Amino acid sequence: MDSLFAKADAIRPLAKRRKTDKDDSRGKSKEKKKKDSADDQTLGSVALHTALPKSFRSLPEPEGSTKAYLHIHNKKLRTQLTRQLAHSARAKALVKDAELLLAEDAGKIEVEGEMEKTWRVGQEDVIKASGQEAARGRKEYALDGGPYRSRYTQNGRHLAIVGKTGHVSTFDWQTGTLHSELQLRETCRDITFLHDHSHFAVAQKKYVYIYDRDGVELHQLKSHVEPTRLEFLPFHWLLATVGNAGYLKYQDTSTGQLVVEHRTKLGACNTMTQNFHNAVIHLGHQNGTVTLWTPNLPDPAVRLLAHLGPVVSVSVDPSSGGRYMATAGQDGQVKVWDCRNWKGAIRQWTARGGNAELEWSQRGALAVASGGTVNIYTKPSIQSPFAGVVNPPLYLTHPIPHRPLTSVRFCPYQDILTVGHSTGLSSILVPGSGEPNFDSSEADPFENSKARREREVKALLDKIQPDMITLDPEFVGSLAPEPKLTTATHDTHDIPFSRLPRMERLRVSGKADETEDVSGGEIEGEDDDGETKHRSSKAEKEKKKMRGKNKSIKRYLRKQRKNVVDPRAVAVREKLEKQREERKRNQAIASGNAESQKPSALDRFKRPS
Amino acid sequence: MKISVLQHAPSSHLPTRPGDPTPTSRNLDPLMHPFAKARERTRALNAVKLERIFAKPFIGALEGHVDAVECMSRKPESLNEVASGSWDGGLIVHDIAQRRHILKIESAHKGKVSGVCFANDGEKLLSCGVDRNIKLWNTRQQVDVDENGAGPSDLQKPLSVYPGKFAFNSIDHHRSDPLFATASSIVQVWDETKSAPISNLTFPTSTETITSVRFNLSESSVLASIGSDRTFTLYDIRTGKAERRIIMQMRSNALAWSPTFPTTILLASEDHNLYTFDIRSLTNPTQIYKGHVAAVMSCDWSPTGLSFASGGWDRTVRIWEEGKGTQPEVYHTKRMQRVSSTLYSADARFVLSGSDDGNVRIWKAKAHEKLGIIDTRERAAIEYRESLKRRWKMDAEVNRVARSRHIPKPVYKAAELKRTMLDARKVKEERRRKHTRAGDSKPKAERKKVVITEQT
Repeated sequence: MDSLFAKADAIRPLAKRRKTDKDDSRGKSKEKKKKDSADDQTLGSVALHTALPKSFRSLPEPEGSTKAYLHIHNKKLRTQLTRQLAHSARAKALVKDAELLLAEDAGKIEVEGEMEKTWRVGQEDVIKASGQEAARGRKEYALDGGPYRSRYTQNGRHLAIVGKTGHVSTFDWQTGTLHSELQLRETCRDITFLHDHSHFAVAQKKYVYIYDRDGVELHQLKSHVEPTRLEFLPFHWLLATVGNAGYLKYQDTSTGQLVVEHRTKLGACNTMTQNFHNAVIHLGHQNGTVTLWTPNLPDPAVRLLAHLGPVVSVSVDPSSGGRYMATAGQDGQVKVWDCRNWKGAIRQWTARGGNAELEWSQRGALAVASGGTVNIYTKPSIQSPFAGVVNPPLYLTHPIPHRPLTSVRFCPYQDILTVGHSTGLSSILVPGSGEPNFDSSEADPFENSKARREREVKALLDKIQPDMITLDPEFVGSLAPEPKLTTATHDTHDIPFSRLPRMERLRVSGKADETEDVSGGEIEGEDDDGETKHRSSKAEKEKKKMRGKNKSIKRYLRKQRKNVVDPRAVAVREKLEKQREERKRNQAIASGNAESQKPSALDRFKRPS
Repeated sequence: MKISVLQHAPSSHLPTRPGDPTPTSRNLDPLMHPFAKARERTRALNAVKLERIFAKPFIGALEGHVDAVECMSRKPESLNEVASGSWDGGLIVHDIAQRRHILKIESAHKGKVSGVCFANDGEKLLSCGVDRNIKLWNTRQQVDVDENGAGPSDLQKPLSVYPGKFAFNSIDHHRSDPLFATASSIVQVWDETKSAPISNLTFPTSTETITSVRFNLSESSVLASIGSDRTFTLYDIRTGKAERRIIMQMRSNALAWSPTFPTTILLASEDHNLYTFDIRSLTNPTQIYKGHVAAVMSCDWSPTGLSFASGGWDRTVRIWEEGKGTQPEVYHTKRMQRVSSTLYSADARFVLSGSDDGNVRIWKAKAHEKLGIIDTRERAAIEYRESLKRRWKMDAEVNRVARSRHIPKPVYKAAELKRTMLDARKVKEERRRKHTRAGDSKPKAERKKVVITEQT
């Protein structure tokens, strides 16, 4: 019988055996007994071939997943929620792992000492240091009929240019293949590609015209009168135009319908940009206001007095998910705004020459073209709050003698900046501006014609309806806020139980899960003060809500508090925390609760705090 | 100073040889995928719309009967053979894959054929009728076959006839033994080799007519029956006694044992609902299935036990998921009359319905399922669409499209009327309760109302 058990013992999981081997605390005699079964020949021969391959083993349970839903009574629901949470946590970890697979490195300029400045680097130095392929990005297009504006396709492969007097051209700038070249012989104010390089729209003297890749005129959009700026919203298939009459119009390019037209009531508009992450249109106006528009609102979602004169350029930062906006005015100021909190600019400075053109690159480099130079600023400095009107540290600068500089465009997935000016265009290299790793499912610079066709169809199928555009694109698929209105008066209902809405019914029967925090996501686990948010029920919140005393001053303080993490404030807070700790420890030592640490020989290597 | 400029090597992004697939690269950074959620929702909406577009469940009708199809039975361990009996006394064994008749007997019984089932060897077929006879047929006797696949009817003679005293209403064969049970005014158990019943089962106080009888599929000596006096009775053929009985508010028209949960039984009731009971506690049903707008005439479980089909007096066939009491899939055609029998196919992919117009209709169990060969890419696309639907089913728009069904106007109007009446009843109940002394009349749960009493 014992031998039978021993045989059965042979098919024990491997992990268990290892554990007993490692465990030293066991007595010697026991160890010996165990050893007999550990040396089992059967197990040794079988284990090698029956162990599960590493890739098939289940991943370890993520931290805290089992405890999160303990308050839910329904066992089935609890299991399901726990499983979902574990799954999402695991997926997040796997996404982090996938970052290892990103193959290409971003460009950069590294200084080796305090005295070296990146802005001293000229284009010749950059070209010398860059590879042969990258150096081809530096180009000068000398063209008549300037000043020129330009626009890249989403994958950065094709370039469309338009001159003020009607010279339009689209081409693949990498291979130098010319798609179309037109002399329209009338004023052209802007150009944009539609979903890809197969169509482009030109804002001409009277109307907007759509041409195909070969330059054949396909449509004359008569409802867009005297357009000045064009934007194409790629995920919604909307062509947004604004003109001298001050109307913002959205045309659906997949169905051909004019979706909506908004009267801005702010006169002729020469400045427009889109937020790539929520498809909101930003307009800059003559009276210095910047307005944010969505198709479903007849009035601007946000109205902001940005400058004291006309606004000449607006750009939104794609590297931070559209969080920052930069504006430039005729008053010579350049301002950076936080789109979550419009109270004052984060940073402002004066651009020499006034009338600056702005553009933000994929990785967050801001190009400011004013006077006869293009200045490029980089990320942490332009987005951190700073009180004075001082230029942020310059990253690169490049003089262009052909004034005025009318447009700046970064090439997606390349370190290239194209500046349009009166005698053509110049492309310069800006190391570190382009995103190095593209995603073939979104935009692929190397796609062939078949892939392009495929993408066109897929994009059409995935077209988002225009009325889904909001300031917060994350509202899709999230829970609707719990209705504040209730039919209860003094907590008693007039309506019979069976006809109450579900939530009310649960509440009456005491089964409602009030601990569920619907409004707050899992993301904001930490507050400003670094302490974790206490999850309290609605009733508790109501009870603890401040009433009466000093309400106005509290409200004032609350409004003054900035919704921004300030690194200096964080540092000061840390320092204070450290001092408090020190004081506490000293007190403990003084009162004899704790003993002071003995000085060690290694203390000399400690950094003085 | 170190300067490096981003450059993509074309060699790593272009196919190395002509004809190779273009290499793809991925960047999972969420900033690279704007509107990911909104686009996925659009995809889910498209998926659910496609589902509704391709929801064409009707496959074909099997003709042959002159009058209403009363009963149907599936041959055990066979995917394609199904027997059906009709009010005109005809009996047909269909091959549903080829849509032809394997056996056709014009007048198997005088009057209607009230029950049909296969013996457990699969070769023999038992039928019972209101002519007080049970007949045993051989399904493999065909020699000369006509263009319809059926032989000359005058040659078809039963292997044996079991005469009874009363008109029979239902018949069911034992899972493994050569026994079968019939329902008339009492439940009788017969041996295939004996011409008289070997035992009579009845509840002591019963005066009813038994309308249907079924053997349990795993505990094969347990027998369940339903009767015209609103009862559901459990018997054990080993003890030869009726074990338990419940009396319900309305009579049941059909019953079916779950093939995977041996204690679960499904009853199709006259009160437009279906009920699943756990026979361990018969005081209340485990689930009420509401959807029909007239009496439910028949029901049958899917062999997986995850869903079941029911046919009703309202001329619709409905497919239910086990445990989900509302919003069943609805099948109907212009020409289909009252559905008196339904049957799931053995592979759970098809549903058969026999109706008053004398046709047996074949439906897909999943209305939008594509029949035929599906290649890997298409399969992957289908699975992706299914997961999208699951993921976005809480979205109002997606859910609205997924729920939408076109149903015939009479059914729609009847449902509307029924809803109005039930609401009015509920309001009246509430008003009455409001004006009685507090605590005097308590609301009773729907489930508790079904069973009036349980007798042992």
